Amino acid sequence: MGKSWLRDYIIKRLIYTVIIAWGVLTITFILVRVGPSSPADKYLATLPAEGQDVAQITAAIEARYGLDKPIYEQYFDYMGNLFQGNWGWSFSTSMPVIELIKAHWIYSFQLILLSSLFAAFLGILIGIYSAVKQYSKTDYAFTFFSFIGISIPNFWLGIMLILIFSVKLGLFKSYYDTTLPLFSLDNLKALVLPVITLGTGMLAGYVRYTRSAMLDNLRKAFVTTARAKGLPERTVIGKHVFKNAMLPLITIIMFDLGSIVFGGAYLTEIIFGIPGLGQVSFNAIFANDYPVVVAVTLIGAFLVLLINLMTDITYTYLDPRIRYE
Amino acid sequence: MNKRLRDIIRKARPHWRLNGRLINYYWQRTKRNKLAVFGLGFIIFLVLLAAIGPFFTPDPTAVNFEEKNIPPLGFTIEQSIYNIETNDFTTKEIHGSRSHPLGTDSTGRDMLAMIVSGARVSLLVGLIATGIAIILGTIIGVLSAYTGGWVDNALMRFTDVMMTFPFFLLLVLMVFIFGPSLPLIVLVIGLTGWTGTARLIRSESLSLRTREFVVAAKALGASDNRVIFRHLIPNVISLIIVMATLSIPGVIIAEAALSFIGLYDPIVISWGKILESGQHSLDTAWWVAVEPGIILFLTVLAFNFLGDGLRDAFDPKSNI
Repeated sequence: MGKSWLRDYIIKRLIYTVIIAWGVLTITFILVRVGPSSPADKYLATLPAEGQDVAQITAAIEARYGLDKPIYEQYFDYMGNLFQGNWGWSFSTSMPVIELIKAHWIYSFQLILLSSLFAAFLGILIGIYSAVKQYSKTDYAFTFFSFIGISIPNFWLGIMLILIFSVKLGLFKSYYDTTLPLFSLDNLKALVLPVITLGTGMLAGYVRYTRSAMLDNLRKAFVTTARAKGLPERTVIGKHVFKNAMLPLITIIMFDLGSIVFGGAYLTEIIFGIPGLGQVSFNAIFANDYPVVVAVTLIGAFLVLLINLMTDITYTYLDPRIRYE
Repeated sequence: MNKRLRDIIRKARPHWRLNGRLINYYWQRTKRNKLAVFGLGFIIFLVLLAAIGPFFTPDPTAVNFEEKNIPPLGFTIEQSIYNIETNDFTTKEIHGSRSHPLGTDSTGRDMLAMIVSGARVSLLVGLIATGIAIILGTIIGVLSAYTGGWVDNALMRFTDVMMTFPFFLLLVLMVFIFGPSLPLIVLVIGLTGWTGTARLIRSESLSLRTREFVVAAKALGASDNRVIFRHLIPNVISLIIVMATLSIPGVIIAEAALSFIGLYDPIVISWGKILESGQHSLDTAWWVAVEPGIILFLTVLAFNFLGDGLRDAFDPKSNI
């Protein structure tokens, strides 16, 4: 038997990922083609109203995007172009979309990374504390605050942080400066409020998940056994309970990254002027820059796909019970 | 024999249709959770505000530059005004006024009127979009579980594809392509938000399918339609109610966020749109950004509290 089940599982999972990726591409293709406005309309909207040869520009744009070809040919061209790294041309910045993304992804990545670390570290710590001191006053307080943290819309939280810290107290007034190194002191200072903005919702989620996962495991028989053996409480909590509670948490953290964090990061970047992909997409919306908006959505979807794949594989590796599924 | 089968069906229904007695029972259980009662109270208040509020507030679109930047009642701000004759700045104190209890924005529109008008938008979007998503999710989930085979496979793979898109990014893309009109935004949120419900209903239906009362109903010759509508759906209805209550906040936030990034319907006033305009006047009129956010936050909190309370009330294993 050996490890062959793991290899088979990974192969199966890879095939499945390719199928989903194909589905994602097809849905975006359908959306773009079915939509009432074509890239040509959006491009025309960016030009001054008078003195344009509308028919000629429309024809040129349609030829550029192959919109004059039969639909099945368009579909194959679209797939082929994406695989060759030809993600279209950004109207508003006059550069290939792929170059635009290459120049900006790192800022989104930095924001998401720092926020996730902040949320996961603090959230797990508070969650463990809450579970161990279940029904204490601190536990109630943390539970209440996690409710608030989950309910607070993160873009409003961002604005409130700016209002309180920057406008009223005059703290953290600096903007993110792309000419400085990523982790320079000034840029890290500029990231304090954004990280709190993006991290609070996640933090509250992790507190709740950690708490309930810890409580579930605290009731298990092996914990009673460990205590009966006379192990110190520290070892029981750290080794027996926490390690078992960690596994579902990994999935949830990963899942969050996809569904919540990308949306939140998008808004956070806009509020704080961080030049990541959210900001790029936001500018593209105002400039009616079709290819960029499509590309950012596709990248988000592919990242989720990649994260799901990695989560499943690590999970299977860590928890051998899954192989019997 | 038929009689015995009927007995099994009758006895095995855990929460068979929400009749008056059952609703009362669940209400008694929900009532014990104070936060859920607060949530319900706030939602009722909001519905009243949205329904009859506009009759008592001034026109939310009436611009009046004479009365711009008035703070909420009880607050006073100092505003520096440029005097063209003396060529310098004079400071003027502006007090909150009784005619604008929540103040006015930078164009003199009444904040209370705008927030009331926004409540209509948010509640309508929340309820209708969630309704579409839940109905769609239930249909897809039940269909998937009940037909099985390639239909199940195809529907679930399609669900996987839809789940792969980050929800907000997909919304942005669709609203960008199809144009930001309110009915379209509602439709788009409904058409993208059904995936979680579909999965949950599917797994729940799969386990119900093998239960005695469903098997017995089939043995009695019940048609597929009858099994689905009389046996499967009534048994997942409590799940659907909890799902709906807990998805409404996400929908309301999504609509506000879309307005906030500029994908708003130009002819309606929504909380997100007020927030967006308030973001630019933080140093002159902070309340324009604070007020819609507070009510948005309380609304989301209320639905979360109520949803949590309902989940506990419907769960026969929890004793509250």
